[in-house]
Amino acid sequence: MSRRSTFNRVAPNRVALAALAALSIIAAPAGAEPATRTAPDDGDPAAESSEQYLINAGRVIVRPGEVLENVRILVRGGSIAALGRDVEAPEGIEEISGAVVCAGFIDPWSALGVDAGSLRDQRTEPATRTADAIDVHGQRHLRREALRAGVVAARVQAGGLARVGGVGAVVRLNPDLSAAEALVLPDAVLAMSVGLSRGGGAMDVFDRQGEVDRVRGALDSGLAYRQNEVEYRYDLEEWEKAMAEKEADLEKDFKKAKKDRDKGLAKAEEDDKEFKEKKYKEDKKPRKPSFDSNKAALARAAHGELPLVVQVHRAAELRELLKATAGVDRLRLVLAGATEAESVAETLVERRVSVLVAPSLARSDARDEWAGADLGLAGRLEQAGVEVLLGSGGETPDLTRDLPLLAASAVGHGLEREAAFEALTIGAARSLDVADQLGTVEVGKSADILVLDGAPLLGTTSVQYVFSAGRLVVTPQN
Amino acid sequence: MLILSLALASLAPASKPLAPVSEVFAIRAEQLHLADGTVLENGLVLVDGDTIAAVGSGVSVPAGAALVEHAGHLTTGLIALGEHAGGSGELRDSTRTVLAGGRLAHAFAPGHSQLEALLAEGITSLVLAPSAGSLSAGCTAVVKSAGDTVVSERAQLHIGLSSASLLSNRRPTSYSGALRDLEALLSSAHGDFGAAARGELPVLIEARSRHEVQRAVAFVAEHKLRGAISGAPLAGELAADIAAAGLSVISDPRSPGASQRSIDALLSLAEAGVPFGFKLASPARHANTLRMGVALCVRRGLSPATALRSLTVDAARIAGVDERIGALATGRDADLVLWSGHPTDLTSSVKAVLIDGQLVYGEL
Amino acid sequence: MIPTLLLTLATAANLAPVTGTQDDERTRWSIHAEKIYAAPGELIENGSVRVDAGKITRLGSGGGGDISVYAITAGLVDASVRIHEDRLSVEESSEIQPALRVADTLDPFSHLWQRQLRSGVTTVMVSPLDRNVVGGLSVVLKTGGPENIAARTVAVDAALCGAIGSSPSRGNHAVYGLPTDFFSRRPTTRMGVEWEWRRAFYDAALAQRHGAELDEDARGLLQVLAGVRPLFIQAWATQDIRTAAFFVEEMAREDFGQIRLIVDAAAEAWKEPAFLVRTGAGVVLPPFPHNGRSGPDRAFTAWSSAAQLHAAGIPLALSSHGAQSPADRLDRQAGYAMRGGLPFDAALAAVTLTPARMLGVDESVGSIAVGKDADLVLWNGEPFAATSRAVGVLLEGRLIVDPREEN
Repeated sequence: MSRRSTFNRVAPNRVALAALAALSIIAAPAGAEPATRTAPDDGDPAAESSEQYLINAGRVIVRPGEVLENVRILVRGGSIAALGRDVEAPEGIEEISGAVVCAGFIDPWSALGVDAGSLRDQRTEPATRTADAIDVHGQRHLRREALRAGVVAARVQAGGLARVGGVGAVVRLNPDLSAAEALVLPDAVLAMSVGLSRGGGAMDVFDRQGEVDRVRGALDSGLAYRQNEVEYRYDLEEWEKAMAEKEADLEKDFKKAKKDRDKGLAKAEEDDKEFKEKKYKEDKKPRKPSFDSNKAALARAAHGELPLVVQVHRAAELRELLKATAGVDRLRLVLAGATEAESVAETLVERRVSVLVAPSLARSDARDEWAGADLGLAGRLEQAGVEVLLGSGGETPDLTRDLPLLAASAVGHGLEREAAFEALTIGAARSLDVADQLGTVEVGKSADILVLDGAPLLGTTSVQYVFSAGRLVVTPQN
Repeated sequence: MLILSLALASLAPASKPLAPVSEVFAIRAEQLHLADGTVLENGLVLVDGDTIAAVGSGVSVPAGAALVEHAGHLTTGLIALGEHAGGSGELRDSTRTVLAGGRLAHAFAPGHSQLEALLAEGITSLVLAPSAGSLSAGCTAVVKSAGDTVVSERAQLHIGLSSASLLSNRRPTSYSGALRDLEALLSSAHGDFGAAARGELPVLIEARSRHEVQRAVAFVAEHKLRGAISGAPLAGELAADIAAAGLSVISDPRSPGASQRSIDALLSLAEAGVPFGFKLASPARHANTLRMGVALCVRRGLSPATALRSLTVDAARIAGVDERIGALATGRDADLVLWSGHPTDLTSSVKAVLIDGQLVYGEL
Repeated sequence: MIPTLLLTLATAANLAPVTGTQDDERTRWSIHAEKIYAAPGELIENGSVRVDAGKITRLGSGGGGDISVYAITAGLVDASVRIHEDRLSVEESSEIQPALRVADTLDPFSHLWQRQLRSGVTTVMVSPLDRNVVGGLSVVLKTGGPENIAARTVAVDAALCGAIGSSPSRGNHAVYGLPTDFFSRRPTTRMGVEWEWRRAFYDAALAQRHGAELDEDARGLLQVLAGVRPLFIQAWATQDIRTAAFFVEEMAREDFGQIRLIVDAAAEAWKEPAFLVRTGAGVVLPPFPHNGRSGPDRAFTAWSSAAQLHAAGIPLALSSHGAQSPADRLDRQAGYAMRGGLPFDAALAAVTLTPARMLGVDESVGSIAVGKDADLVLWNGEPFAATSRAVGVLLEGRLIVDPREEN
């Protein structure tokens, strides 16, 4: 993908959030960002789909809380082309009927789609791009099962347990798509972690606090890098301006200047002194800072261009991490796991930090930091006013398929049904900056939608049809 | 919800003394689930002491008895098969291959802290079973998850026919040796083995891979035993053979991420009419795993009614205690769970649990 | 002539729409070949075999076929296969286990059966792992059919199997301090192994002679002495093959009985064939090793060993001995043996009729004859030649590998 199309895909809020955007993103030196090289240049990646369908829906859940009754949806060219009561059926189009249509589920914390080696990689760096490790055709069987369960897309992340996991990607799970179509957003989030047991036993408390400091240190280095870059841009502009002015001056006053110089020369000879050429400060061109891909990625996170997802569990580390990141104003922080997040719920609400909960049933094999995890966490955080997201935990690929059941369990343990549905659809899409494509059933969005025979997340409801980028990938027959 | 006894308004954890609701009381629920799968709208259960005195739509509440209205589902308590909670990790003697006459009931610690998690998921009874590694570790026990009730201290005779029972440095080391030793025990006609051989005591046969299931089925048929096969994820692929031998199946816990093939195997059991129940194996497993297992099956097409049976009446039959638990029926133990929705739907939550007529979790 | 042609055409026309699944169920076939090797020394050129309901119903010259191939042989028979659950196939708590059945330990779902079947091996004998002195009773079964050992079984308790050499004593040890397991009372040398053989048989024979009560183990050994079933002794090296022969002679000399000995994995039998001739023993050879030596005792196999044993008049079977690499497949062994000088008919016998006779199942398998099981291998060239391979397999009349699907 060319650089131009990268910017086309950056969500508007992302641009808005970056106050220095004009200078720092758009004018960033070529290569300052990791090259994005996935989708073809011709705009919408799903445009290749020639399939078209008309869905007669009893109910369409456009987004949580917004429901339309008895509407028709035209799926064409990979997108939702029309939605309404009076949508005309083009001749010969395949018609599908269903009780409920809603957006496909998104797993914002998945292990499906990336190989086990990359998942467990501990030596990932901020600039490591999961998009480079994704095999869009791998784990075919599991991907199909996930689609059947209604999970259409996922955020996959290399280095899930590493201190810095690098840049995660959002992918469609349909194994029949090309790499370009499958990648919804190659650079979606920056992932880090604090205080995890990595291989050995639990870390001691000082090391854990040290990891919090490292997060802040990494963000600072990103901020400094960006600051440097901005200053350079500024200095360069100033210098260029000064140079231009001076040149104009010189042009205009060339004769006067020559006379002055001649005069000076004569005077120097007279005084038997050495003649000093006049110095212009404009001679000193600002030096271009050297490119550092890791710091560039950190800078993007520190400036909120990418959300920063930090897996952190214990109360002490949660508290310290929130303290340490308090001054990074534009940071968009998401806490993953967050077993003891209730202790900092107020701060989370205040700072609008969302929490990515993995409703885990793990018990005996649970690592130290997960001890005390229970299915009620999501419900209690939501009660406290925290925005809750639900993910499968990013370690076991098979769990992505069962994310809807895990979400149902969270509902059974106190989470509002609507909140769980939001977490799996628009909530996840928004937090991963793919809400322009996924998460709701709206005209113009990509057709990654489900046709159900009942309300979503209900035990008796089954997924009848699944569309992925406008392609019908699940039917009651397959 | 109406409640006449004020003392019950607070949540009562299992470890605290059990609070009696009253000697005679009734609960009326919008949906009341009977053992045969029928659902009574606005059905009523009348409890007298620790047993169910009457169940039905037209049951009249005696004067002076409390009546609780429940806007949700009412079922009997769920039963977890193959359970380790409350056994203090002492459910297998590792130095003995055969512990003839062994009683897992004697390892049961009433009021154990591990049991509280079970109540929160509506599990009122559990079958304490040994962990793998023995040719026979004795008899399983059925106990309640609150109080000290032992429903049966001689529920099933445990028999290990999986590779886990065959250690390389202890007799038997081979399948053929295990069969020979078991045959000798059965033909002795003594004790629990004698009872099993006469068909008086059901067996719980551990088998993992499909050939082990086949071997177990042949063994059961040859010796005319009755009981259940436990621990084989793909047992359902041999559903016809299992049905022909009159056996049941105890499924391993089915956690999220379980292979679709193993879920489909369970569905084959239902199709062949083989009764099955679920192990939980807590505390290693989260108590929610029990309902998760059936939810995985329901998603693939198992009817919620069959799913609920696998957690109640079928499980009780497998453990040989269906005379006492597993159904809302007159004369059975008053083990009741009040749910917000259908129990096999994971979005439903447990509102209250009663064991032997006593409120042990939640509030009425 | 014309009606035949029409019939053939009609058959061909009928065949066209037949799908694979229907063919799976079909048990009536007529197969034409340029050469039908019906039995060793019995060649029918330009003939056909007709099968129905699992049996061979017609064999003769001419005749059309649903399928036409270059050559047909009977399904191959391997007298030494180890598709079992490894150490769970043998009861090691005692080194003499004459009453236990390896059939009770097998896994019909193993993918290894299918691999044997697709390579043309339709009948096998499975013996227990060689960890015991006397390992137990073997079973002869088909490599395909219902996924159930009993349903595939051709002969129960076909042979009593054991081993001489280093295998049964490996891992055993003397007692240091208190014994921790039974491996401290088992033989630790091949001398001890040989002693265990003699002791077990002496005890059984003398108990019978003195009218003592016989347990099931003793009865198992006495049946071998009475010739009810053959005794398969695995013995790779020269010294162990000798020991086996001397042991059988000793039993005869003591008037305990005449054991029908088959030496399994007899890699070095070619060195001293005279002993085997003297005892009337048969030999099952392990796969020809690529570097000359193989087995637990690093026994040496010459390429000419099969030819030499054949020349000495010893009943000879080839086997894969549980090896799984494609180079160790049974049809390849026949090819190697021919390269070492074994005539074609002897090679064919060594993978069909001779092992079938050793296992006592030659009534139903081992050659192509009317009334026998319809187990056939279809070849695209001369059987066992390096340039040809089995392109089709029938098991009890069912087409397992369809040569028409081969390219």
